[in-house]
Amino acid sequence: MPRATAKPSTRLARKRVKTPVSRPSLQAADELMELVVDAAHSRNLPAFLERFAQRATRMLDARWGGVMVFRGRETDLYQSGAEGIGLQASHQATLIRLGREARDETETRPVPFDRPFVGAGDSQKYGHIVDVTFVPITASDEEGLGCLCLIRGKGATSSDERNLLHALASHAALSLENFRRFSQLERSKRQWVEDIDAISDYIVVHDRSFRIVRTNGSLASHLGVPPAALVGDPMSSLRQIAETRTELPCPFCRDTQQAREEYIVASPERIFLISTSRTPGVSDDDTRTIHVLKDMTDRREAERRYRELFDSIQEGLFFATPDGRFLDVNDAMVRMLGYGSREELLRADVSTHLYPVAAERERFFSALAKRGVLRNYEETLRRKDGTLLHTLQNITVVRDASGKIIQIRGLMLDVTEQRTFQSQLQRERDFNQKILNTTQSMILVLDTAGLISYANRRAFESGYREDELIGHRLVDWVEAGGREDFEAALETTAHGHQVENLELRVRRSDTSMGHFSISLSPMRDEAGAVNSVVVVMTDITDAVLLQAKLAHSEKMATIGRLVSGVAHEVNNPLAAILGFTDLLLENPSIPANAREDLEIILHETQRTKDIVQDLLSFARQRPVQRELVHVNAVLRQTIKLRSYDFASHGVEVIEQFDEHLAHALGDGQQLQQVFLNILNNAYDAVQEAGQRGRITIRTSQQGSNIEVSITDNGTGVTDTERIFDPFFTTKQAAKGTGLGLSICYGIVRAHGGEILCRNNENEPGSTFVVRIPVATEAATGAAIGKEAGR
Amino acid sequence: MNISPILLIEDEPSVTAFLRAALERRGYAVEDASSGAEGLEKLGDREYSGVISDIRMPGSVNGAEVHAWIQENRPELCTRIILISGDTANSETQLLLKRSGTPCIEKPFRVQQLLTVVEKTFGKP
Repeated sequence: MPRATAKPSTRLARKRVKTPVSRPSLQAADELMELVVDAAHSRNLPAFLERFAQRATRMLDARWGGVMVFRGRETDLYQSGAEGIGLQASHQATLIRLGREARDETETRPVPFDRPFVGAGDSQKYGHIVDVTFVPITASDEEGLGCLCLIRGKGATSSDERNLLHALASHAALSLENFRRFSQLERSKRQWVEDIDAISDYIVVHDRSFRIVRTNGSLASHLGVPPAALVGDPMSSLRQIAETRTELPCPFCRDTQQAREEYIVASPERIFLISTSRTPGVSDDDTRTIHVLKDMTDRREAERRYRELFDSIQEGLFFATPDGRFLDVNDAMVRMLGYGSREELLRADVSTHLYPVAAERERFFSALAKRGVLRNYEETLRRKDGTLLHTLQNITVVRDASGKIIQIRGLMLDVTEQRTFQSQLQRERDFNQKILNTTQSMILVLDTAGLISYANRRAFESGYREDELIGHRLVDWVEAGGREDFEAALETTAHGHQVENLELRVRRSDTSMGHFSISLSPMRDEAGAVNSVVVVMTDITDAVLLQAKLAHSEKMATIGRLVSGVAHEVNNPLAAILGFTDLLLENPSIPANAREDLEIILHETQRTKDIVQDLLSFARQRPVQRELVHVNAVLRQTIKLRSYDFASHGVEVIEQFDEHLAHALGDGQQLQQVFLNILNNAYDAVQEAGQRGRITIRTSQQGSNIEVSITDNGTGVTDTERIFDPFFTTKQAAKGTGLGLSICYGIVRAHGGEILCRNNENEPGSTFVVRIPVATEAATGAAIGKEAGR
Repeated sequence: MNISPILLIEDEPSVTAFLRAALERRGYAVEDASSGAEGLEKLGDREYSGVISDIRMPGSVNGAEVHAWIQENRPELCTRIILISGDTANSETQLLLKRSGTPCIEKPFRVQQLLTVVEKTFGKP
């Protein structure tokens, strides 16, 4: 009979599992012992639980017994055999629901089922309501593991029976917990093997005698065998995978004394990183060596390619610390910075040497810190030898989780040559521009149609406006008479030939005509076709005038030498003619009519003598007296000489004298002769013109010259160039020798001055201009001293 | 009367002829030389009462050099020289005349012009 306990708590009951109840029946004690043994040896939980259910049914003389096991929301039901009551699904559902609700206490209660049980033999005994005993199975941590459930034919349970039920429930709990732990262990072990097998690295474990203890699936499948097949084989059988060239029987062991080893092994096909761990076991037999072979082939290949790229690329690549110290650089970078080797560059902290301007370095780092990325950053760095390197850099920073910069990576281009080339180009361009703009010639570019497309600064300085030139035809500026020549030259140039020193008169911007020397050169495009014409125009008006003056004075000098020689040669015969004529006239025997003839000879000889004297005067044979001359005074005296004639013939004389005129140095009498000659000429001209004559005389100082201009409104001069030539006269024969202006010319030249004649531009008449140098201070002083000492 | 002749140095024969005629008609004795060199030769040989010399003459010796030679070798004749010039504008001649005060007649000249200067310089014959 089961004995009731004082405190029938499950905990106590469980503790007493191994201690049978105080007065167990022999049968119950045996059953419990068997149960313990069964639980210890059983590996199959369902079978054990079924047996348990049968045993509980038997021990408590029940009609049906079942063990519910809770698995989360699911419940498994293991029940006693078919000899009991056959439970239909709905019965089971009801029992399970109530079993899950059952708590600590063993409880027997009537359970109403929706349909009656059908018993094996005594089905009639059961109706819809059946008494069911529920015994919760609780784990040591109070977790509900399941429920023992019995249908007995009897009424209430005795206390012995309750104790027995508690004992059974405790056993069930212990067994379920054990099974659960065991299955967890099994699962975890299986999982572990699966995990190891899932590792793609090859793993092999061997013992002290270099026999394989285990391999993972990857290694076995590499060798084409199941993992278990390798167990017990010698490690040497794995030599085909990789060889470390050791004397040891294991191809992967190097130094068996080391607890850990790691090295890289390259076989012809693959490269492995072999990590070895040695675990000393409790006994020697337990010593295990674990080799993990990591196939590095692809990674090494990638690394090799990366390194190759890194080293062979022509751009500089670098990794640097946040403060600018290089961690790694490629060969191009080493070359760029002018170091002997990568090691030298990495060894030296060059970050401060690199920056010729320290502030630039600060600028670089602050820009980098701010933006994190620098694109096409231009930086001038200093090579090892101090020369400058112009670079273009692309930089990125690597930051840690907190945003702090931990590395700088960059790519650097050497643009020194481009920069140098660029600046050289710029210099050349500037130089060319300067030439174009400072040259004294106008340089124009015409398109093939003759339209101006470019004009240099000189062209605009000459007064032409941009809108008058650009887009206009240059030929329109050429004097009408020269346009045909210009068009022909343009045509020649368009055919690829050069035209040089074409002299044409071209209208200046102030509408005056200038004498220009024009050169045209073809300019060709890449294909060699002439696409424009470069025109260089030089205003040679002054040069032409000067040349004309030079030619004139050269001519006059030649004439001077000629007449001087002639005059001298003529003087000898003249002397004889004059002398003998005189002697003949002294002879009283000469008849009167012959005497008259001799008088004519004498007269004509005298006249010839005068001509020769004038010629000599023109030829500057007469020295110039050097004294201070008041030009205004000389002019007034001269005017006075002819004032009667002027007044009586209604010729108006206008004096416009500069009263502050400086002195000239020269011969007053000779200058008077010059002015008188010009005035006579003017008088004759206005007389000839037949209208009211007007002669304007101006004096002024023009630079270092005193300029006297005498303008008349007479008939003008037919040839202003030749008017100073000896014997060039338009006057009637009797009026003079034709040497007057030639003598003036000689005198003015002897004074170091010049005389010229031009017809008035917009009115009748002509103007004579006489320029005489102003007396220098030294000369003035000397002359004054001489005057004072007289 | 033993009056020394006047030495006339002139390369132009027509001028020499006229001068000789004019002077001899007034009573002067005249000896001529057709070049400066010949004139100097004659000056070395005998006495003359005066010298009339053209300035511009071909050959190695011109009037200025004759003047210089006389100054050097026959100083007593220094004040008895008359120069005749075809072109007085010549600056060299100008200088010579100015420095020495030697009288000069410019060609062409009238007979009276000549005689006035000769009488003034050499005195009457």
